[in-house]
Amino acid sequence: MTKVSLIIPTFNRPHLLPRAVESAQRAGREVEVIVVDDASSDGTASVCASLQAIKYLRVDRNQGVAGARNVGLLESSGDFIAFLDDDDMRLPGSLDYQVSLLMAQPDAGFIAGGVMLADQNCVPTGEVAIPRGPSGDLFWEVLELRVHLIPGSVVIRKECFFEVGIFNRRLAGIDDWDMCTRIAEVRPILVDAEPVCIYRVASPDSGQGSSALGRQMRSAVRHQERLFSLPRVQEATPAQRRLVRQNTRRRVADTLSWRAAHEFPRGAFRFAASNFSIALQLSPFWAARPNHLRVLWRSASTQLLSRSKNLASPTTPVG
Amino acid sequence: MMSQVSVIIATRNRSSMLRRAVESVRHANCNAEILIVDDASEDQTQQVGTSFSDVHYIRAKRRLGLGAARNIGVIASVSPYISFLDDDDQRLPGSLDAQVKLLEEQPEAGMIYGRALYGDDQGLTQGSYYPEHCRHGDLFWDLLRWNFIPCPTVVFRRECLTRVGLLEEEAPGVEDWDLWVRIAELYSVIAIDKAVAIWRQGTPGSGQFTSRETKLHREAHRLHVNKWLRLPRAITAGTAQRRKISRDFAACASRQLVWTAASRLKAGRMLESARVAFAGARMYPLSMSRNILSLSTLRSLSSSLETYWR
Repeated sequence: MTKVSLIIPTFNRPHLLPRAVESAQRAGREVEVIVVDDASSDGTASVCASLQAIKYLRVDRNQGVAGARNVGLLESSGDFIAFLDDDDMRLPGSLDYQVSLLMAQPDAGFIAGGVMLADQNCVPTGEVAIPRGPSGDLFWEVLELRVHLIPGSVVIRKECFFEVGIFNRRLAGIDDWDMCTRIAEVRPILVDAEPVCIYRVASPDSGQGSSALGRQMRSAVRHQERLFSLPRVQEATPAQRRLVRQNTRRRVADTLSWRAAHEFPRGAFRFAASNFSIALQLSPFWAARPNHLRVLWRSASTQLLSRSKNLASPTTPVG
Repeated sequence: MMSQVSVIIATRNRSSMLRRAVESVRHANCNAEILIVDDASEDQTQQVGTSFSDVHYIRAKRRLGLGAARNIGVIASVSPYISFLDDDDQRLPGSLDAQVKLLEEQPEAGMIYGRALYGDDQGLTQGSYYPEHCRHGDLFWDLLRWNFIPCPTVVFRRECLTRVGLLEEEAPGVEDWDLWVRIAELYSVIAIDKAVAIWRQGTPGSGQFTSRETKLHREAHRLHVNKWLRLPRAITAGTAQRRKISRDFAACASRQLVWTAASRLKAGRMLESARVAFAGARMYPLSMSRNILSLSTLRSLSSSLETYWR
């Protein structure tokens, strides 16, 4: 039996859910789609009743995304587990493709694929995020947040949950990274560049989990200290640990500051300010790199240009 | 044929007792799925676990703790009913069959518990049991006061976990109590007025025991304030009811702590006794002092002090 269970945790998004479910059903021949309704207070239940061939689970007490994923795991019967957020999409045939690769490597814990980035309407922007690095032991890369992992692009062997435990309910938004790190510690992982899912990139005001990017990254940096209790980190030299800590802080500060510079001219002042202040706390030197000033300047100039164009022809609808 | 009930035995470094626990489950139900979750043991647990032919042995590669190990077992299990058994406890013959039958007869109940016989270090019983009187029905408010449900006696429905979520992993020692509270919020609880398990008690002789006890109280206190009193049912019940419940909770817990402190004192362990009393006073200053100043406690304190000085 090589069935895949695809778990879709959802909370108050009945208008987006059918799209995710349909894409999931087309992603493989033998897919068990499990929708976990995390105590939604709107029409999610009735929308799910109209969907064909899904397993609908309703949690009555809100568990958060990690808790909902765990409940999905509880009712899953497949040998491989995939996750999909309710606002993202799987590409057709992608699950079969990833599972065939994973079956060829019996010791690999999970496979990570490429991600097509999309705007708020889930229309791909043309950018593809490819997880960096060759396959194999990627523990240090994952721990340092160097591998780009999105829950929708990963297929995990079910045994891995028996070896390292299930999602940590307390870690909202970074539970998937925590899980992948713990798996990568005990097993090699597969990386494949082929895009497998469409990821709706959060904008500062879309109310998605990663809209609060700064806070999420800061909690990741904090949680890393707890992951340092893993045996493989304990065996490493103190200098190595220091290096991991330093690299992570720098990378996070760099990303946050870049995002802040990118969003500031578009009017997301509060988002930019909070991101930049968190970046400054983590690594002042990397937060204030001249590169970010350049990004700021470029973003501002394109913003100004488009605004002047809009002023010139106010009747044209903005796509 | 699909098994009726999954018994999850989370174990760590107790290979000598594991076999006895598994045998007891075999006699307790003719059709049980037994899962051993080995929390990264460093002894012969792996050999013992894989030696059974009809047991699902799962080995965690990293040490995870009791709650997480039980969660792994739950996810690996397939039956509609679930029961937890500790590696040093035992199920009594036929007990699972009887409990599952009762639970099947009452579809509105989420879980069933029963009496546990106290066992000594060797797992032998002296005939005393707990609880004296098995309450049943809507136990939500009772469970918010005190945990009177011995973990090895419980059988609950799998669907309960879907509705209330899995076990709390970061509440060492009180993860079972937390689950009972959350199940009792939505379901009624039934009980069987019979002993169904043997519950091995820890040895109070070691200093580790007291530190564990105060830690349990601290965890329970934290969950009570931050989680249980914030459940929807507790919130809708109103402030007066919540205040009453937390007063009762403090009274129960401090009585227990005073009793522990007194028994430590009687055993001649001044320092441990003081530590327990101090920890209690920090959590529940009012009811702790009320308990210590109560006449019966003073009397037993003076007698224990007498024996101590003598």
